[in-house]
Amino acid sequence: MRHRGAALLIVALFALAGAGWPARTAAAPPRLLVGILHVGSMTDGGYNQAHAEGARFMQRNVPGVELIEVENVPEGADAERVMESMIQRGARFIIPASFGYLDPGLNVARRHPEVKFMHPGGFKRAENFGTYWASTQDAFYLMGIAAGRTTKTNRAGFVVALPISFFLANVNAFHLGARSVNPRFETRVVFTGTFLDPGKEATAANALLDQGVDVMGVIVDSPITVVQVAERRGAYSVGYHYVGLQRFAPKGWISGIAFNWGPLYVRFAKAVMDGTWKNEALFGSLASDYLVVAPFGKAVSSATVRQVNAAKQAFISGQLRAFQGPIRDNRGQLRVPEGQILTDADFGRMDWFVEGIVGQPR
Amino acid sequence: MSTPFVESVLAGAILSGTPVLFATLGEVVEERSGIVNLGMEGIMLIGAVVGFASTVHSGQAAVGLLAGAAAGAAMNMLFAYMVITQRANQLATGLAMMFGGVGLSALIGADYIGSRIGGLNPVPVPFLSALPWLGPLFRADVLVYLAVPTAVGVWWLLFRTRWGLDVRAVGENPTAAFAAGVSPMRVQYQALFLAGFLGGLAGAHLSVGIAKTWAEWMTAGRGFIAVALVIFSRWHPLRAIVGALIFGGAIALQLQLQARGAPVSPFLLDMLPYLLSLVVLLVWGGIRRHAAPASLGRVFQGSE
Amino acid sequence: MAEPAAPAIRLTSPSGAHVRAAGLFALAFVLFGGVLLAAGKNPLQAYADILTGTLLNPYGLSEVVVKMIPLLLTALAVAIPSRIWLINIGGEGQLYAGALAATWAAAAVAAQPAVIALPVVAASGFLGGALWAGVPGWLRMRGWVSETISTLLLNYVGILLVSFLVFGPWKDPGSANYPQSAEFAAAARLPSLFGTRIHLGLLVAIAGLILYHLVMTRTRWGLEMRAIGGNREAARRCGIPVETYVLVLMLIGGGLAGLAGMAEVSAIQGRLRPSLSPGYGYVGFLISWMAGGSAFGMVAAAFLVAVIAAGGDILQMSHRLPGSAVNILMALMLFVVLARRGKGGGS
Repeated sequence: MRHRGAALLIVALFALAGAGWPARTAAAPPRLLVGILHVGSMTDGGYNQAHAEGARFMQRNVPGVELIEVENVPEGADAERVMESMIQRGARFIIPASFGYLDPGLNVARRHPEVKFMHPGGFKRAENFGTYWASTQDAFYLMGIAAGRTTKTNRAGFVVALPISFFLANVNAFHLGARSVNPRFETRVVFTGTFLDPGKEATAANALLDQGVDVMGVIVDSPITVVQVAERRGAYSVGYHYVGLQRFAPKGWISGIAFNWGPLYVRFAKAVMDGTWKNEALFGSLASDYLVVAPFGKAVSSATVRQVNAAKQAFISGQLRAFQGPIRDNRGQLRVPEGQILTDADFGRMDWFVEGIVGQPR
Repeated sequence: MSTPFVESVLAGAILSGTPVLFATLGEVVEERSGIVNLGMEGIMLIGAVVGFASTVHSGQAAVGLLAGAAAGAAMNMLFAYMVITQRANQLATGLAMMFGGVGLSALIGADYIGSRIGGLNPVPVPFLSALPWLGPLFRADVLVYLAVPTAVGVWWLLFRTRWGLDVRAVGENPTAAFAAGVSPMRVQYQALFLAGFLGGLAGAHLSVGIAKTWAEWMTAGRGFIAVALVIFSRWHPLRAIVGALIFGGAIALQLQLQARGAPVSPFLLDMLPYLLSLVVLLVWGGIRRHAAPASLGRVFQGSE
Repeated sequence: MAEPAAPAIRLTSPSGAHVRAAGLFALAFVLFGGVLLAAGKNPLQAYADILTGTLLNPYGLSEVVVKMIPLLLTALAVAIPSRIWLINIGGEGQLYAGALAATWAAAAVAAQPAVIALPVVAASGFLGGALWAGVPGWLRMRGWVSETISTLLLNYVGILLVSFLVFGPWKDPGSANYPQSAEFAAAARLPSLFGTRIHLGLLVAIAGLILYHLVMTRTRWGLEMRAIGGNREAARRCGIPVETYVLVLMLIGGGLAGLAGMAEVSAIQGRLRPSLSPGYGYVGFLISWMAGGSAFGMVAAAFLVAVIAAGGDILQMSHRLPGSAVNILMALMLFVVLARRGKGGGS
């Protein structure tokens, strides 16, 4: 009995070997091996897909660049191990593409001064560790204008993953933009508590729609769920992260904010390769090529489109600022005094909602 | 303009609670036959991914739901083989099933992330859906309508049919059942088939009916909730309805409260069902008073 | 009454069974190879990559050891109560409770030097986990609720409690509102060894295993525990305080799981986060069952599981497979062991 089992085992091993052994092609080593970590799936139609497509664009357009991609890496201790593995394979530029990879990334960066890191959305840097993001707040203000003019019920809902300061700032900017064209506008926010849980996101979206909102915004990793729920219930959608989101909401699509990381990543790779890389804290704006305002949907009138574009130009030229005082929060406290303007640096500490927003930021 | 609080919470609770109810019913049937399946999470995930993938390919939600249910049943047959024929330890095997389900569903689902389906659409019942308070009950999809009837059906099956009697007999005392001419192994296999079917259906409803998408580990613990709910409802299908409503309600309630701006900690609310289950057990007996089928008790006491 | 000479109980299996066990695991690898093949990958290349990535390079090996530490502790948390047939499936909740207590302690002694801070943090971790298992233990001792159920339910409560604290009262004011606790003071961080991430927790785990083995085989307590495990009623009639053992063993088991949580939060992560553990408690349960209560078996099983877990990243990086596909391998390994053992009767 034992011998028969062993024989079977050996036969099986040979079968596997014969069936599955492709020749190993020898490839020239790349000039730059880039590693990218994703917290979710690369095809999630949202946050991760935007980064993944940017990385692949970089690989296609910079000769000598090779890419290692790892998805679904949990934030925390495992992330360090994955980054170390990449470095062991020769990676010299790493993009830890999730907020929670900040501390693990800094740990690894400390141990490997020869490797460069660029972290999206981080707020700490090191000698070989830089951060980048696009200030989405102005873009959300534009979305607010479009929403404020398109809504029929004067109420919008936002499904947000976590009350991270930058997300709060996004919702605040949206609301201020909507209020600038529609003084009675109200925004309601529900937090799901996690970056990805489609069941909860659908329930949250339904809860908001029950409250009479007819514009749905979303700040989670994969916006597909919320946008679909909105479309099904006849509400408008404002998208985030991914430019191809519109096909999920053919009728209700207003617009969205998307990231086109490709050209930026190309610049990163080239800078690393020719030694001009800097550990900057990059904050893009509406003028950057990696922050994209998605095409408008049928639901938006051409007058609205014109107004939004005008506002966009005003932002770029510096005439318009989203967070211009006086601004009170939704508990009545004055947060931005008359004459003061909030900047990107202030968004990292934001823990309040503008008045007229129904939600618990803490 | 906005839906009143009670209506919204009810609607949310029913929607969230439906997959949980189906999974709980499946687990009730299993445990009544004397077998604990801690791997219901894995069964649900397989049902969710197969259901979603089938819907993508066929374009029909019904096909997806059935395929998911069938896949769940098939997966549970593997579990059945392990614990019934091979007499493997139930708790460990169940956990192994959970891990296996997570891995297998991730593998199968990798190509379907970001796919778009029509999914299950709500089917409003003409007059009834306009009722105040109870309106949302009649604006749901077909599986939600089927949830309570299924619970009644399982109750009837367990308590009013010959087969159900056999199942419960095996769950209480397999030796005595065998002496009475029942084949414990056959009955248990049948029970596990039904349980897997219901669990797979639950998962498929989650991906095809509620979220209309697939993501790795999207059940997020609902399979384990089902195991806890079985305890909470003291192994009775009709009480499981209440349990599922409470659990589904807890999720819906905290999201609804947020949408209304009420300060509530979602985590404290989420703890309630588990703590309630403990209390229920304390009051109605977790060991002494034989709330559980007896041979299940032996599993829980480690002599099996 | 004179004590009978304790027979030379070997908790490790005879060597023939080792060969059989290795053969079983090989079968699981072959089956998983089939799965890889079906997914269009080359299984032999995949296994070769996993080997080179984990065992055949120093960093990989150190990471395997790092992953083994919490697994060994949670496995002990299950193994110890299981000697008297208590089923502790609450390792996860106990781990979280230990991490919670350790975080609180770390904040309380933040100003102290390491010589004071570390023992306090460690003791708190132990106490937190012990408490979390002690409640189910007490409920079982009184004959009210099966510990299987109560530990299972308390898992969720423990995890939710940590989320509640980390999203609310314990949220770090300096992290852009991200849900995590403030960072541990340097004095409260468990030191690492040899410049890797292997930390003092390893010594605790090893000490725990050695103690476990010695107690079970060489002390009167071990004898009494085996008596209870053999026949509870008879043991009680002999005057062995069964109820006390129930409570004490649950406390110790929970405490060890709590130490695993403390180690994760103090050595590896440096702060408390909602996603502290990827299921160490449940995997520890499986390791303990695979090992059949043998200390050596637990080391071997934990090693195997750690290699597989690390292998997941490699499968992704080199072969473009979803990382969680390795869970299938783990499940296959378990099936293979469980089926084999099941035929011979329970364990």
